[in-house]
Amino acid sequence: MKVEISRRRFLQGSVAMSIAGGVSMSSSSMMASAATPAKKVGNEDKKIATLCEMCVNKCAAIAHVRNGVVEKLDPNPLFPKSRNMLCARGNSGIQALYDPDRLKYPLIRDGEKGSGKFKRVSWDEAYAYINEKLTKILEEEKDNRSTVAFCAGEGMAEHTFKSFFTMFGSSHFLNHASLCLATTVSGYSLTIGGYGQADLDNAKYVIMAGANRAEAIVTPDTMDFFKRTTGRGAKLITVDPRFTNTAAKSDKWLAINVGTDLAFVLALTYVAIKEERYNKAFVENYFNGFEEYKNHILNNNYTPEWAEKITGIKAKDIYQVSRDFMANAPQAIYYQGRRTTWSKNDFQLRRAQAIFSALGGGVDVKGGICFGKSLPLVEHDAVAPMYAQAKSRIEQNEAAVVGGSGSWVAFRNMVLENRSPYPIRALFNYKHNPMQNMPNNAKTAEFLKKLDLVVTIDTMPSDTVMLSDVILPECTYLERTDPVVSYGGIEPSIAQRNKVVDPMFESKPVMEIMRGLSAVLSKPLFEITKKYDEDVQSAIEEDGEEKVYADFDLTKPFEHDQAELNVHAVEKYEGAADILKEKGVFYPNMNEYFKKISVNEYEYYPEAKRAYSVKNNKFATPSGKIECSVPALAKKGIDAMPVWKSEYEMAIPSGKFRFITGRHAQFTQSGTANNRMLLNLVPQNYAWINKRVAEKLGIKFGDKLEVSSKIGKTTIKAYPTEKIGPDTLFFVHGFGVYSTALSLGYNNGGNDAAIIEDGIEPMHGSTCLHDTIVEIRKV
Amino acid sequence: MQTLSLKKLFYFEKTPLNVVMAVTTVALLAAFMAGAVAYILHGHHVYNVTRQHPWGLLIAMYVFFVVSSTGLCIISSIGHVFGIPEFQQIGKRAIAGAIITISSGFAVIGLEIGHPMTMLIYNVLTPGLTSAIWWMGTLYGLYLTFICLEFFFLAIKVNHTFSKIFGICGLLVGLAAHSNLGAVFGFLVSRPSANGVFYPVYFILSAMITGCYLIFLMYGFRYKMNFPEKISVMLVKLSKILGMLLAVLIFFEAWKIITALYGDMPERAETILHAVKHPNFWFGELILGMLIPFMIILLSNAKAIKATVYASISGMVGIFFMRYDLVHDTLLYPMTTLKRSEYQVAPTFVEYFPSAAEFAIGFGGIGLALFLYYVADKVFNLDETNQH
Amino acid sequence: MARYGMALNYKNCINCRACESACKEENGVLLLPDHYRIWVGVKEAEGQFPNISIASQTYHPSQCQHCDNAPCQQVCPTNATYYGEGGMVMVDPTKCILCTYCINACPYDARYVDNRTNTVDKCTFCSDTRLAAGETTTACQATCPTKVRVFGDLDDPNSEISLLLANKEYRQVKEHLGTKPKLFYIL
Ligand SMILES: Nc1nc2c(c(=O)[nH]1)N[C@H]1C(S)=C(S)[C@@H](COP(=O)(O)OP(=O)(O)OC[C@H]3O[C@@H](n4cnc5c(=O)[nH]c(N)nc54)[C@H](O)[C@@H]3O)O[C@H]1N2
Ligand SMILES: Nc1nc2c(c(=O)[nH]1)N[C@H]1C(S)=C(S)[C@@H](COP(=O)(O)OP(=O)(O)OC[C@H]3O[C@@H](n4cnc5c(=O)[nH]c(N)nc54)[C@H](O)[C@@H]3O)O[C@H]1N2
Ligand code: SF4
Ligand code: SF4
Ligand code: SF4
Ligand code: SF4
Ligand code: SF4
Ligand SMILES: [Mo]
Repeated sequence: MKVEISRRRFLQGSVAMSIAGGVSMSSSSMMASAATPAKKVGNEDKKIATLCEMCVNKCAAIAHVRNGVVEKLDPNPLFPKSRNMLCARGNSGIQALYDPDRLKYPLIRDGEKGSGKFKRVSWDEAYAYINEKLTKILEEEKDNRSTVAFCAGEGMAEHTFKSFFTMFGSSHFLNHASLCLATTVSGYSLTIGGYGQADLDNAKYVIMAGANRAEAIVTPDTMDFFKRTTGRGAKLITVDPRFTNTAAKSDKWLAINVGTDLAFVLALTYVAIKEERYNKAFVENYFNGFEEYKNHILNNNYTPEWAEKITGIKAKDIYQVSRDFMANAPQAIYYQGRRTTWSKNDFQLRRAQAIFSALGGGVDVKGGICFGKSLPLVEHDAVAPMYAQAKSRIEQNEAAVVGGSGSWVAFRNMVLENRSPYPIRALFNYKHNPMQNMPNNAKTAEFLKKLDLVVTIDTMPSDTVMLSDVILPECTYLERTDPVVSYGGIEPSIAQRNKVVDPMFESKPVMEIMRGLSAVLSKPLFEITKKYDEDVQSAIEEDGEEKVYADFDLTKPFEHDQAELNVHAVEKYEGAADILKEKGVFYPNMNEYFKKISVNEYEYYPEAKRAYSVKNNKFATPSGKIECSVPALAKKGIDAMPVWKSEYEMAIPSGKFRFITGRHAQFTQSGTANNRMLLNLVPQNYAWINKRVAEKLGIKFGDKLEVSSKIGKTTIKAYPTEKIGPDTLFFVHGFGVYSTALSLGYNNGGNDAAIIEDGIEPMHGSTCLHDTIVEIRKV
Repeated sequence: MQTLSLKKLFYFEKTPLNVVMAVTTVALLAAFMAGAVAYILHGHHVYNVTRQHPWGLLIAMYVFFVVSSTGLCIISSIGHVFGIPEFQQIGKRAIAGAIITISSGFAVIGLEIGHPMTMLIYNVLTPGLTSAIWWMGTLYGLYLTFICLEFFFLAIKVNHTFSKIFGICGLLVGLAAHSNLGAVFGFLVSRPSANGVFYPVYFILSAMITGCYLIFLMYGFRYKMNFPEKISVMLVKLSKILGMLLAVLIFFEAWKIITALYGDMPERAETILHAVKHPNFWFGELILGMLIPFMIILLSNAKAIKATVYASISGMVGIFFMRYDLVHDTLLYPMTTLKRSEYQVAPTFVEYFPSAAEFAIGFGGIGLALFLYYVADKVFNLDETNQH
Repeated sequence: MARYGMALNYKNCINCRACESACKEENGVLLLPDHYRIWVGVKEAEGQFPNISIASQTYHPSQCQHCDNAPCQQVCPTNATYYGEGGMVMVDPTKCILCTYCINACPYDARYVDNRTNTVDKCTFCSDTRLAAGETTTACQATCPTKVRVFGDLDDPNSEISLLLANKEYRQVKEHLGTKPKLFYIL
């Protein structure tokens, strides 16, 4: 009897998980990801359709290979998402493949952590080492699998790694979400029912606040939009403390005080409501709680005059923008933004944006925020084991909603500050660079040193790699076939990365790494579970060990060849598998729909077939309407409606600066710091400092500055410019690498992770990257 | 021609001046060799020339030498081509000097042109007839041939008719070659400060001035400042000519600058204004190259020959600056004024400073010229022989 | 015969420099200083924060203009620079003597010395790498995210570029020099 109950608990607790070949990336589930290894493609002279992985966008590419050498990457016009382009980084993927500094062999630490000393080992030795350490840890922790954490950067094979995590049974998965887009995705989702895709091909009026599409490239937004700006169909209002390349393309640039966007949006809303310029029919029919919101806005007197004092934006500009927005609505968008880890009010800001945007009615319509369609892949559920001793997330109470991707900063700090209810002892890290991507890298270094086992799967000797115990070299994206991915949107399609050349040195795709590792770990770890998990013991008694083990077999998701899995994943679309192999991209009726319009333009879907409106005015929110108020959040201490609080105003002491970070069109976060081509274009980052301030301080272009905050310092050259205000300092993220193994990236420029303080916001525990005050000194 | 033993060749009177000249010559020759070796080993990397400033000191020194050569040729022709009696005597020395300076120029440019052998082949196979460099190069080749023949018939197998014929040919071709060298710059439509008729004419004018300076120097050295009567008479006349040429040059330059500045034509005015503000111009070109010699000649009524010899040193330094500035000022203004990357300051005037190798080869060329002159002076009798 | 030119919707340009890296990869341009066939000129914003003149910051994608009346060609002593098929201005490295006269003569800074061959190199409109292989676009055009470039035959009245130039206003760079450039900046 006892056994039966336990077994039921056990089965109910099982996590269903997809081990299909691919993943659906609907525009509203940006944090989702996929599963698995590669089949050899020959090395003759040929053209191979593949996908770029130099950043999140995954543009379609055609690789030209001669004598086994990738000579050129060209854009592949077939992919609606990438519209026949490769950016500077995409073109420079070849340099990542042939980077002389790349990781070539498995390595095990051979000296103090951080000493940078490693010894070359075989894959088997590496697996054996991991097995030895891991069994020891789990033995000591009595099979509490959550003592082992997993983290991953975004990527087409992230899901493969995640399958390993799921099978392993830890509670701790951490990824870029809490460092990147969690607040905006949930802000829009909870308000309008999804993050959506801004239809920049048809919008007439767009507010881009803290989104720099000319430099932070997002497809197809970047490509669609800048053909229509500067008086050619779309009005663009850029709101940014810096005059960015996007600002240079706009009709109006509003230089906002850092961290005050919420006040700006509330004032826009005030004008729209007060002057009754919003889309009344839409609000009437599809808003939930509008009256309450209206009263909230009006009663709080969120007037443009009020906002002017906070934001530094002239009241008359706020009136103007709000009126123009509503006049153009519903073809008007308050752009969602992407990296929204700015300040404490970030989630509320995104909610306010979504509501303001929806007030114009531009949701699920052409020229507004669209949800689009997706092309589902064949998935089948496999049962992942449930480990009775695995405890829940340590940082789950550090913020109101800590989702499946965790709060990186809260997690790290709890471990470091011994606030964790149980020890965290090991970390598996895939394609992710916490030493750079998380603020306060001194803490990250301590954290990594504190762990008994850090296993990093990377292509390059990053700063995190240098602080790991075991380094497993993955091959680059050009050397592997990755899980086929379905991209939802206005013009949905499926795309596949096909292997271009064989992996160099001893590197392997993560699928094969996981296959090898799980084969070694599976049994010994099961032995530990057997020892500590009574349910498992009873189950074995009942069904026999072999049968029970089958559920705990870690090797399952990695049994099949990736190319085979991909064939399976698209089997419901006739001919898709072959087309994907040959052309890299597939969507139903592609042969008929896809047209070359001119040398530069292609049509993917005829106008009538594009998925602009799909919801039938039923939004994916609890009420099916646009949610003005989310009372459920109030229980967790999160305001049900966006409120401006005086604590959001941050005083900047005179002579100091508020520091902001961000992107550069020729680099991807920290991953391209050693790319020869890109460094040839831009040798390093520079600190933007207001020209007049610099002059006063006697700072000239190229002078070396020491930038310091409460938590650390870095040195960087000065770029005096009028494109930034007197109390703000900016430099591009991803430089000033510590790893001496990156010969070009090492010590090149300034490192923002060294100076940014590690505060988090209350909703998801996302990091606040723009809440740091810095001072500078000429050196 | 005299037969000479090596020992005799390298024997000279050890006066302090001679020793200084000998040491200088050897040092410069060594520098030339060192520069040449560096170039042969590393190619153009050892030069500081760039995409924005593709020509540098070596081109300037090449121009310096060929201007000297043409100048000597023109001045010598006053005597034996145009038959002005006092100038007959300078013929051999001047033509020897012309041959030596142009050879040194060729040696220097040979180390600047990336592929001299290719040049020899394709100058003939696929001549670029619209190219001022082609005409300049071809004509200078011809010129060298003519003045060598001229020298042959002046100093080796004396034949006055032939020397005169080849002298005339040399002069005409030299003038053509030289004005083409001016045209190398004058034809640059991309460079408003150089484009136009100025340089071809200016080159001839400044060549004549250079020729005068060099004659003064050669004679000053030859006679250790104790000039025989005949020489004095000639030098006084030469001094007058020089004074007049300098006056014309000053006048000419002044108008060039005024017309360039007038109306503030975008690129041109800025470039010239930038150039004339530079000490290279007002001190190097103007004071050393023109005003000092001119004032000495003017104040002494062209009689102070010794002072003019010293002034010629100043003059030649000035001439060097004229050549250097000619190249540099032409390239001063960037062809694109926009920056190419966010983290740059927008390009302003292009900067250039010669590298060690360029200095070594460029000034080393002077050592080559001095050495050849020394040898020529030993081997041939460069003074007038009363063969009539 | 074809006469190739390029029209540039330069207002589309976001200064992403994809064209630069594509050209370098396509044509094997060495990753060294001064080595580039193509570049994007940045005109810095004018004004004082926060009153920046938006229109003052512009991007100017540039490369060899393949002048119909090319100064670089006229000055070349060995005809190493020549008008190739389709009116492309080309350099024959076997004939180039590296006098660098052409670099001085080009009003557009379009030429540089290739360290590998020690001869002058420049944009070829990808004629050797792509057009010869049957492609109809250049690497810089194909890769551009915002589709700045339109490459095509100016002599064919029905080509896209001809139609574009017939219907849009454009300007050319340093036209007054008489170089007859074949890059057209669409206004
Ligand atoms: N200070 C500061 N911090 C930030 C940001 C910021 O702007 N400023 N931005 C935030 C944002 S939005 C994000 S999304 C995150 C991104 O942070 P991460 O997810 O860490 O991404 P990257 O910094 O690009 O580092 C990616 C790592 O993956 C490795 N890699 C690249 N390709 C492969 C591959 O094919 N296989 C494997 N195994 N490894 C590979 C690279 O070598 C690199 O070490 O950073 C966040 N953190
Ligand atoms: N070239 C390139 N493209 C990329 C990436 C890359 O690394 N390189 N990374 C990709 C990823 S992971 C992401 S998340 C996206 C990021 O895309 P974005 O979020 O658009 O880019 P960021 O540069 O991170 O930040 C945007 C802007 O916010 C401004 N800003 C800072 N503080 C404030 C503020 O308080 N208010 C306002 N209104 N603005 C502020 C900054 O000045 C900056 O210009 O880009 C993606 N695309
Ligand atoms: S935007 Fe650039 S780096 Fe990102 S996937 Fe596309 S080509 Fe690659
Ligand atoms: S690729 Fe296109 S948008 Fe990017 S810099 Fe070049 S011309 Fe401009
Ligand atoms: S742009 Fe320069 S290199 Fe190109 S054809 Fe014209 S002059 Fe010659
Ligand atoms: S450098 Fe070469 S291509 Fe240029 S002018 Fe001289 S020979 Fe002609
Ligand atoms: S046309 Fe070809 S060679 Fe010319 S700049 Fe573009 S990519 Fe480079
Ligand atoms: Mo991100």
